[in-house]
This record gives sequence, structure tokens and C-alpha cells, in this order.
Amino acid sequence: MGMFKKKWSPRDADRWTWEDTITVVISPVIYVLILVGCALAALLKPVGFILVIIAIALTVIMIGIINPKLTAISEDYEKKQKDYMEELERKVKWED
Amino acid sequence: MVVFTFLDWFWLIAFIVLMVGCGVRFYRLGKRSESDFFLAGRGLPWWLPASSVYATHTATDTPMWVAGKVYKLGFTGLWYTFYAAWCAISAFVSTKIFRRSLAYTQAEWQSLRFGGMSGELLRGWVAGWQVFLNMFILGWVGIAMGKVCGFVFGWPLWIGLIVFSSVCAIYVLAAGYWGVVMADFQQGIIALIVIVIVSFWGIHAAGGAGEIISRLEAMGEAGKLNPFNFTGFFAGDFPVAWFITMLIIGILGGLGMGTAIDWFPEAQRIQSAKTVKDASWSIWAGSLLVIIRNSLWAAAILGFFVLYPDIQLTKDYEMAWFRLGFENLPPGMIGFFFAAIVAIHISTISTHLNLGAVYITRDLYHHYINPRAGQEKLVWVGRVGTLILLLGSFVFGSIMENITEWLIFALWIMAAGVWLPGILQVVWWRFNGWGYLTAWVFNLVFSWLVVWVLPAFGVLPHLKDYQQFWILMILGALVFIPVTLASKPENMDHLVKFYVMSRPIGWWGPVKEEARKRGLI
Repeated sequence: MGMFKKKWSPRDADRWTWEDTITVVISPVIYVLILVGCALAALLKPVGFILVIIAIALTVIMIGIINPKLTAISEDYEKKQKDYMEELERKVKWED
Repeated sequence: MVVFTFLDWFWLIAFIVLMVGCGVRFYRLGKRSESDFFLAGRGLPWWLPASSVYATHTATDTPMWVAGKVYKLGFTGLWYTFYAAWCAISAFVSTKIFRRSLAYTQAEWQSLRFGGMSGELLRGWVAGWQVFLNMFILGWVGIAMGKVCGFVFGWPLWIGLIVFSSVCAIYVLAAGYWGVVMADFQQGIIALIVIVIVSFWGIHAAGGAGEIISRLEAMGEAGKLNPFNFTGFFAGDFPVAWFITMLIIGILGGLGMGTAIDWFPEAQRIQSAKTVKDASWSIWAGSLLVIIRNSLWAAAILGFFVLYPDIQLTKDYEMAWFRLGFENLPPGMIGFFFAAIVAIHISTISTHLNLGAVYITRDLYHHYINPRAGQEKLVWVGRVGTLILLLGSFVFGSIMENITEWLIFALWIMAAGVWLPGILQVVWWRFNGWGYLTAWVFNLVFSWLVVWVLPAFGVLPHLKDYQQFWILMILGALVFIPVTLASKPENMDHLVKFYVMSRPIGWWGPVKEEARKRGLI
């Protein structure tokens, strides 16, 4: 078994799980690390490079955690999208 | 003034031909339908909207804004640009929800989320506000280009305002969003290359990284290298209280929609992505590039500060990054630099021309004026809308000097009092259209009172911006929450339909239960 859950049923993927919680915590941290790290690295400060490396590592982890779930949500939704689209057009024409 | 050689003119003309040609080439795709003209047929892989997010938010005035903050405050100034962090959470929360709603615009989303009269009133209000706002942004960015052209060629402001926006309008009128996004991709690459080259060239011109650091230390300005150089909890230019407020607004705002002014162009990019997953990664990656760009600029601005430490006027040090390029790049590269500035400029202009036009076409014309309009007609209305925005932007641009303070206020008030409702509309089923409308209306009243009227009569002191934010948020909540609870919930059929399609997070228990009972989930 891998580190991260790779197979998601559409029903499970639609639930808020610890994968979502971890992602919304890691994601802003990555932005902070990149903001500070790139500025300091551009002035060749070693701490800047360290922060950028940590940010890259966290990005890889975040993708591993959330991408399979996003894929499952997407695939399930695409099957229904055509019907939803027709409904939307009916609404804009005041038919719905 | 800067003297252009033959090679400089070559770069400039070649880039303009390339950019316009690249956009116009998609004329046949753009004219097929409303969906193509405004959303590229909802078929784009994540990296195209991502590059468009990045290119759109890299405007002519952006390096001025970053330079203004970083020259004065050092790396702490970077946090003023960190509002883009709302995308960090939005990419995995509100982006997903919005993409699943399929709404063309945030205005259309209002009528999907809220039903009946309040939903329609909100749709009309948001559409009208967005037409105005896009026109204003076009004028604002256009006049920034006028200033750059004045600096480079000594031209009057109106030439830079009119010429490049008009050139850009050629491909937006022809190909709509297809032209916008394809040109954005190529403009984004050009802009990124030039930002890297000029920023590092600027650092080199200041003596290199080591020299910048040692000179800052010698000047007693080493604090400018510290991104967390707080001046106290409440006191000074960079208080902890402001920092916390910014993080809350920026990051938690990602749970909602319309909590940042940038949400509206992003909403269009989200809908143009071919899947929910593509939408999420496009927003996340595009904003990451914005953040990297800001950091590179900031390092270069510190180099500029070391070279010219005594500039007092904001309008002078705001030009720091442009000066690093024009004063240090060799002949032949100046034109390359200016061509990239044109790319930076028109990538923003093209987005707002098309974005304003979608509100005119989809929300005002198609929904309210002519619901039976055919696709060809809708594309033509889109073109007329684009032209109206272009002409309106010239008017705004020409009076911008006099109205900027008022319009910044207008932007600010639209963010403060509706920030929380922007989140509640996503996470709380019971929040209804009347509550949201009340929030908009009372925000206008309260913001005038808190920012202008009460301080003028000495009833309130002049508050700092982060204090105004909290006060406006609390005052608004004291009105819109009782109004929400006193008025009826949205119709359950409407909510169930919305829930099944969009799957919002948060407190949706009764709606979810009803959807389950009906066997819809």
C-alpha cells in the first residue's frame, strides 16, 4: 500500500476528509515559503534556498495527497456535466 | 527619455505582430458560440488558464505597486502582495464548487445559489458592478501604461493609454476569450523571461547580492531583508495586527467567492478549464507564479534602493523596476524589455475587455433583454460589449488622476463588508439572497460612515485600514445575519438542485438530507 490513497469512489471523493484538511493547511504554507524563500534566494541567502526546497517537497506531497481525489471528483462530474449544462441554458432563457 | 535603436524597434514591432496575430488566429473558434467567445468552449487544459491567471495579474501597474511597498518597507512590503494567497485554499474549495456550478460569471452564480427575486436582484447588481469595475481597471492599467510611455518616450499620457489598449482590442474583438487565453500564454512566457532577466540584471547592476546585503547593513537598513520586521503589535508601518488581518482576509477568503477582487477574472478561468481538476490546478499554479514574480521583483527593488536610497516621492520610486531595466540593459535589449512591458500590459487589458463583456452579454443581454438570442447574435453582442468597455476605459483613464482616491475607496468597501457574506454564501445553507443583498447595501452605508463621515465630524478617529476592515465586517454582520434569520430560507427545491450540482462544503445538513431522501446523492 502506498503512502497516499490512490483510488477513490465518487461518493467518498465528495466527502470532506483528512486529505482536504491537510491540503488546505499545506497549500498556504507552500505559498508563504515560496514568497519568502524566492526573495531571499534571489539575494543568495542560504535560508532562502532551504525554504524553496521545503516548499517543493511539500508541493510533491500535496499533489500526492489531493490529486487522486480531484481526479475522482472530476471523472464523476464529467459524466453529468452535459445534463447540467442543458439545465443552465434553460435557466438563462427563463424556461426553468 | 530612452533612445531606441533599430533592433529595439524590431523587437517591439515583432512582438506586437506576434501577439496580435496569435490572438486573431483563433477567430474561427471564438465566433462559434457564446461559450467559445467567453470560455473557450470550457475545454482548456490546466496550464492555459494558469498562464492566463499569471499574465492577467502581471499588469503595468503591478511592478509600480510592488516597488512602492518594497522600496519603503523592504521585504515586509511583500506581504501587501500576498492577498493572492486566497487561491491557496480556493483552488481546493471554492474553485471546485464554482466549476461544478457551470456559471459563466459570478453574477450567474448568484441566481444559481439564491432563487427568486433576491437571486435575480443579486445577479443584476453583480453584473452592473462588474461592468463598471472592469472599465475602471482598464482605465487604471491603461493610464499606468501612459506613464511608462511618458517615462520612455516623453509621450503625453493619453497616447500610451489609447494606442496599446486599441491594439489589444483587435484580437479580443476577433476571437474573444480564445484570443485572450492564447495570447496570454505567449505573453506570460515573455513576461516571465523578462522579469527574471531584468530583476537579476538589476541585482547585478547594484553590485550583486552580497554587495546589496552589505550596503544595506552599512546604511543601517538590514531590517529591509527581514520579511517579518514587525514594528509592534499595533504601532508603525508594519504592525502584527495588520499582518494577521491580511492572512485572515487572504487565506480564509479562499473558502468563499468574491472575497478578493481577483476572484472575478479567476472565475472565468475556472470555467474555461476542461475539468474540475484542471480548474483547481490552474488557479493554484497561476497564483504560485504570481508569488514567485513578486519575490523576484522585491529582490531587484532592494538593489534599486541600494543604488538610489534617498528618493522621497512615491511616484518616483514606484518606477524602480522600470528604471533598472531601461538604465542598465544594453542597446538592443531595451526594445525587448519594452516589448515585454507591452505584453504585460495587454495581457491584463485583454482579460478585462472580455470579462466585462461577458457580464454585458450573458447576464444583462442574454438573461434579461433577449433570452432567445442565437449564438451568432450573442457573439456580436460580446463584441459590442468589448467596444463599450474599451471606450469607457479611455474616459476613466483620462480622469483617473482626480478620482483614484474615491475609486480605491470603492474597491475597498466592496471587499470589507461583503467578505464574510462571500464565504457564508458557500458554506452555510441558511444564508439567503436577502441577507447577501442587505450586506451589499449596508456595507455602502457603513463604509461611508466609518471611513469618511464620522471621522470628519470627530465622532470616530481616522482608523487604519485593517481596523476599518474589522469594524465594517462586524457592523455588517449585525445587520445581515438578523435579516437572514428573519426572512425565509431559500426554496428547498432550488437548494437541493444547487447542492447536488455544486457540492458546497460546510453547514448544508438539511439540504444534504433532503437530497439523500430524494435519491439524488
